[in-house]
Amino acid sequence: MAAARTAFSRVAPAIANVRARPSLALKRAAFARGYATASENSMTVRDALNVAMEEEMVRDETVFVLGEEVARYNGAYKVTKGLLDKFGEKRVVDTPITEMGFAGIAVGAALSGLRPICEFMTFNFAMQAIDQIVNSAGKTYYMSGGNVPCPVVFRGPNGAASGVGAQHSQDYAAWYGSIPGLKVVSPWSAEDCKGLLKAAIRDPNPVVFLENEMMYGVTFPMSSEAMSDNFTIPIGKAKVEREGTDVTIVAHSKMVTHSLEAADILAKEGIKAEVINLRSIRPLDIDTIKESVKKTNRLLIVEGGFPAFGVGSEICAQIIESEAFDYLDAPVERVTGADVPTPYATNLEALAFPDTPVIVKVAKRALYRTN
Amino acid sequence: MHPLSFRHSSLLTRACLNGRTLSTLPASTSLGCLPTTHSPTVSKLAFFNSVTGDSSKIPSYQVLDVFGVPIEGAKVPEISKQFAWRLYEHMQLLPTLDDILCSGQRQGRIPFYSLTSYLKYGEEATVIGSAAALADDDEVLSQYRETGVLLWRGFTLDGIMAQVFGNHEDSGKGRQIAVHYGSKQHHFHTISSPLATQISQAAGVGFALKRDPARRSKNVACAFFGEGAASEGDFHAGLLLAATLPSPTLFLARNNGFAISTPNSQQFYGDGISARGPGYGVDTVRVDGNDVLAVMNAVKEARRRCLESGRAVLVEMMTYRVGHHSTSDDSYVYRERQEVEDRTKNDNPIARFRLFMESRGWWNETNEDELAFRLRRDVIKAFKRAETVKKPDLKDMFTDVYAEEPWNIKEQREELMALLEKYGQVWEPWQNELRTLKNGGKPVD
Repeated sequence: MAAARTAFSRVAPAIANVRARPSLALKRAAFARGYATASENSMTVRDALNVAMEEEMVRDETVFVLGEEVARYNGAYKVTKGLLDKFGEKRVVDTPITEMGFAGIAVGAALSGLRPICEFMTFNFAMQAIDQIVNSAGKTYYMSGGNVPCPVVFRGPNGAASGVGAQHSQDYAAWYGSIPGLKVVSPWSAEDCKGLLKAAIRDPNPVVFLENEMMYGVTFPMSSEAMSDNFTIPIGKAKVEREGTDVTIVAHSKMVTHSLEAADILAKEGIKAEVINLRSIRPLDIDTIKESVKKTNRLLIVEGGFPAFGVGSEICAQIIESEAFDYLDAPVERVTGADVPTPYATNLEALAFPDTPVIVKVAKRALYRTN
Repeated sequence: MHPLSFRHSSLLTRACLNGRTLSTLPASTSLGCLPTTHSPTVSKLAFFNSVTGDSSKIPSYQVLDVFGVPIEGAKVPEISKQFAWRLYEHMQLLPTLDDILCSGQRQGRIPFYSLTSYLKYGEEATVIGSAAALADDDEVLSQYRETGVLLWRGFTLDGIMAQVFGNHEDSGKGRQIAVHYGSKQHHFHTISSPLATQISQAAGVGFALKRDPARRSKNVACAFFGEGAASEGDFHAGLLLAATLPSPTLFLARNNGFAISTPNSQQFYGDGISARGPGYGVDTVRVDGNDVLAVMNAVKEARRRCLESGRAVLVEMMTYRVGHHSTSDDSYVYRERQEVEDRTKNDNPIARFRLFMESRGWWNETNEDELAFRLRRDVIKAFKRAETVKKPDLKDMFTDVYAEEPWNIKEQREELMALLEKYGQVWEPWQNELRTLKNGGKPVD
């Protein structure tokens, strides 16, 4: 405990406000209400993101946050809550309303040696900034002959929320996932969010960090390892959330929740589904998926994005291009969002995205078990 | 006079005239100007940072003071009592509508409602004053706080409720978030959520109007936006293009002090939005947005200039966002309640105009009570009615992704029709659902 305290004060002497404490995460968890199964600690996704940013800002003075409403408002979704109080205006910056503008500022700051965390209120609005993300952040390192790295993190909610209409509901994993030069992360649990965001901030490459608004309030158990302030998860490695032998379900972000629920339902019928949490879109951990397919012989990919040219399309293509093709006993199944601008009416919106019953149905279809 | 500068000046003077004539100008004037821009040259190195030329703030045009009394030198427009009533009623309708729809949202009867004006008073004069100055068929592209323009143009309360509830009377077929109104008939483009995209689009609409012989010199395109949205790149593009192409586009900025929690001091450093207009060569005016007559005068003149020149004109309307940003916001987290109360009391657009009408003998307390009662009754009536109106026709589930129906959607529609034929009248959940739809979900070919 004492060592950690001194570590804090050594790393960040300028931060007088931050009272050194054994672990920010542990203290937060003490107040968290939630169900913990394997461990004593738990945390909401929102808190995990908050703690990740706080720890990295303490650790490295060049890390700072910018975006709309991040400072005084504590974040449009309260993800940056308390950061302004702890780190001050120079490190938590409220910007005017111009995504193109502040993404550009973030890129410029990164090119000059700072480590910005650029928050978009949602990635739907980041389309206004996509030139900065793709053409500047993504390609400058290469085009400068390796001379100019761009260690920026673009983060914010991605995909559907609830009753917010077509212009607020798109999933951009496939768009950013196709860009060489970018890393793209799509975490699910609180542990994912904490470890991956810390890794993203420390990564010298530009990282697009796709969160999900509906997951912010969800509580997850946190291992004691995850509570440490040096806890990172490698970008580009998927996690097998649940082992199985009969069918592989690959998902990312909120769809992991539905996939696990589907696995529970399938288990009641004697079907053991293996659920893989992608964690990263790019680099894509195709090896974990391949190993799983070799074991189960059947593959489903579940995502919230549109079906055309999506994450599922890519995984399917890579699987059939690999030796795993010979292990498939059924066509690869993709469970995706509907090919329509997201309806506003909540009942139709619910039908426009995958849910647990649909995943169960498709899993059975892959097993030739549907009526 | 230094002989060198004399010679210098005559040479440059000739250059200024592009060699068209060799006559020289008196040497006592400036040294001349740069060859291509006609920008005069000077010897004093002086930086400038002010539109007004003396670092004072751009002034705000006003007709009535906060008590509804015409200020000295004011040009009060000639309006009839009926017209004044129409202005006032529409201003009062906005908060009435907000009150009732907000309660409806909090009661869970509608999911999302962003305020047209505010829970107390606020921007009514900016919207109604502008609407009154535009022609009914000027093309309007608004942000989300300008429902008053639609109402002024005759969009009914039933129409408002239809959109909010997404029933079959909604021309948007229930596909848009609440308050994202649109009406082709009223020349009001459907509201789009991403901020400021309407600003550059308006320049394009203006361009189309110019190309149309039937509408050229008759109509303008008009974009409304807040001072926060004006930070977006689309603002730059819109003004630049409408000024340069050019296209007859009116840009009406509501400067209400806040963009969610971000106050003006964090949104920009210059003198508001008006300071930017001259940067693009655009005729600009700043007006007291809480003075409905001033807004009307200013926008009328702006429109006239826009039509005459065929290019961009910018009006910045200064006002105050009294209410929260939306029903998901609590603004007392980032501003003092006292500040809001003070503004409501001391700079109230509705009260100001009422006092003006009273001074003319056009309004009294009885009128006020009657109006409040009638508006509330009409809004509630439309609200209750809309709750009972059936949802859109089943066939609308399959339309409008493309102009022509793609094969995959045709397949889905046919599948649904087959299922409905088989189970529609025998399975209770579906029977109940079909009953809520227009035409009872009858088969669609």
